Amino acid sequence: MKNETVDVLIIGAGASGAAIAWSLLETRMRILCLEQGPHVADKDYPSRDDDYELSRYGKFSCDPNVRGLKQDYPINADDSCIMPVNFNAVGGSTINFLGHWPRMKPSDFRTKSLDGVAEDWPVNYAMLAPFYAMNDETTGVSGLGGNPAYPDYTPPLPPIPMGKLGQTLAKGFNKMGWHWWPSDVSILSQDYDGRQKCVNAGTCDLGCAAGAKGGTNFTYWPILENAGVELRTESRVREITVDQSTGFATGVIYHGPDGQVHEQKAELVIVACNGVGTPRLLLNSKSKMFPDGLANRSGMVGKNLMFHPLTGVSGVFNEPMKGHEGPMACSILSQEFYENDPSRDFMRGYGLHSGRSTTPMTYALGGYGVDNPIPWGAQHREVMDNVYPYLAGLTVVAEDLPEEHNRVTLDPDLADSDGIPAPKITYRLGDNSRKMLKHGEERAKEVLMAAGAKKVLTKGDDDVWWRAGWHQMGTCRMGNDPKKSIVNSWGRSHDVKNLFIVDGSIFVTAGAVNPTSTIQALSLYIGDSIKNNIETLFD
Amino acid sequence: MWTERENDLLIAVLDELIPANKKVGVPAAGALGVAGFLPTATSYAPDPVGSVKAVLKSIIDKSSDFTMLEGVEKIALLRDVETENAVDFGTLVQLTYMGYYSRPEVRSMFGVGAHAVQPKGYDVPRESDEFMESLTAPVRARGKFFRVV
Ligand SMILES: Cc1cc2nc3c(=O)[nH]c(=O)nc-3n(C[C@H](O)[C@H](O)[C@H](O)COP(=O)(O)OP(=O)(O)OC[C@H]3O[C@@H](n4cnc5c(N)ncnc54)[C@H](O)[C@@H]3O)c2cc1C
Ligand code: SF4
Repeated sequence: MKNETVDVLIIGAGASGAAIAWSLLETRMRILCLEQGPHVADKDYPSRDDDYELSRYGKFSCDPNVRGLKQDYPINADDSCIMPVNFNAVGGSTINFLGHWPRMKPSDFRTKSLDGVAEDWPVNYAMLAPFYAMNDETTGVSGLGGNPAYPDYTPPLPPIPMGKLGQTLAKGFNKMGWHWWPSDVSILSQDYDGRQKCVNAGTCDLGCAAGAKGGTNFTYWPILENAGVELRTESRVREITVDQSTGFATGVIYHGPDGQVHEQKAELVIVACNGVGTPRLLLNSKSKMFPDGLANRSGMVGKNLMFHPLTGVSGVFNEPMKGHEGPMACSILSQEFYENDPSRDFMRGYGLHSGRSTTPMTYALGGYGVDNPIPWGAQHREVMDNVYPYLAGLTVVAEDLPEEHNRVTLDPDLADSDGIPAPKITYRLGDNSRKMLKHGEERAKEVLMAAGAKKVLTKGDDDVWWRAGWHQMGTCRMGNDPKKSIVNSWGRSHDVKNLFIVDGSIFVTAGAVNPTSTIQALSLYIGDSIKNNIETLFD
Repeated sequence: MWTERENDLLIAVLDELIPANKKVGVPAAGALGVAGFLPTATSYAPDPVGSVKAVLKSIIDKSSDFTMLEGVEKIALLRDVETENAVDFGTLVQLTYMGYYSRPEVRSMFGVGAHAVQPKGYDVPRESDEFMESLTAPVRARGKFFRVV
């Protein structure tokens, strides 16, 4: 099949690329996926090593600038208070993601009409609900049905253990009379579909060697490869090519593992490179017809970059909290302050997430996502002996609003190992997010005290977590108006009729929940729309 | 790499950065042998040996025998070096924490398993349905908690 025209060419083998390939399987079209990274064997995950924590600061860092591997592209984040982080391999960032799996809420898709901010999505919760469910089945999602903060649904597997830390915090929320619920997670609480259940190793960011976490390397890709989807690894797309007379995408130019530049033709091109990689690729795909980058007649490619700005508050309790036991990100989630409340001095809302505490080295070095080591000397002893084991924390995860000045552009000097221009991030924390984080910090302190903390610790400054650009959204947003958006309501480019985008860059707003369940539901929805519109796909 | 005298000095410095807790048998960083980790740490700092040497030189410039100083004098001197050469000192602190806490036996002193966490992990029992029922009862009692749009 090599280099013959394929029906469908997917760029990126992460969360969204895998989901759309799965959706399109039944069409029996010839599907090829090009992925810049390799397969990573689970035997190579550092959690099998005695000194596993070290890899968090080296080859398994979530920061591509720290890893600096051949398949990584550097990111210039000098003009940003948040560094975008990722993983580039088969499975994409689901290799090192933490598996926290909340859905967006119905109101998240209607921020303009409900609250007068940002824009409404051209899709809504009800349209995505069947695809959330379908994705949960394939991925293996654990959680407790009946969460009053959502329309009714029940995850396929029972919840993972909350542990002492989660139980302690839950009691605090109950005392305050606030909402909380055990987190939905794409982590197996039971053996499922030939995969092993979670062993509570607590190192989800270092790849799940048990195969219990819903990385697409464990979920979708084995099915896809068995079904004949061709996955070409170590193949980095340089640009998407366009027929200058028809304006249709013709395929791509890519750098293969042999170090050579190849051309691959395709009838349909689907971009799934994450919220920074996708605008980067489009901006790098310039032609006479698209001098400012492919599909960018609106000039909006790269703009409206949203993260989920974070801050954390920790409580010091009387007993050890055993926070290192169990999946890292998720025990319970409170959405008490999620929905908009006009009496507050900010719009929209946030979640309070109970991350479990980290292992000793990571804590000593400042915590996950923070580079600010704890003091040395006598104070070091005091913190590690009398604070660290007794910690339970809450993370305030804020909804970022889209702002055009927050954006991805191309760096004039920086390039990846194939010489392709690298992305540059310009991002400033909005006033709204700042006020929201402050509010969240105060509420987190209250609930930690209610839960029995003898004291609470905050970072003591206004800075958000630096390496917390886990969620990259909004840079090629969907919408009905071609002047204000890049793709239509089912992911098709307004400008290039056989080009689709399926990753988080098409988000219109960010919500205040981790995005991947929505990214994949949306990707499945787009796949379904492609199937439903197959006769008139390019009209 | 460094002389025997520098090595003795380095061990003394490391013992100040992470001191021992003798009561519970937690060793200091120098005594644990973290000095041996530092030159191997090239994946985590551009020039670990260079940073260590720079810090040692600053100390030697200030005191002919750091190891003979009183505890408070050692701390005061190290604080001066930290202020004057924040980058190299910061690197030394960071690498010391890495070398120290990457030792499995140290993890277990803080209640964390010494074992590689895969494949064994930790045994954490799942809460019973009855327990979850009662813990979530107050939340469920409040009824639907999202905006219907
Ligand atoms: C440390 C960490 C923790 C996280 N925790 C959570 C969590 O708990 N819950 C949650 O919902 N989300 C979490 N996320 C975010 C989640 O991983 C992403 O939202 C999700 O993976 C995005 O899916 P995607 O398909 O858009 O991109 P990815 O999964 O990142 O996949 C993109 C793929 O495209 C490839 N690619 C990019 N450019 C090119 C090119 N030019 N040519 C070829 N291939 C290319 C990349 O190599 C990559 O494999 C976390 C992320 C990180 C890094
Ligand atoms: S805690 Fe569970 S999901 Fe996370 S890495 Fe360990 S086994 Fe995998």
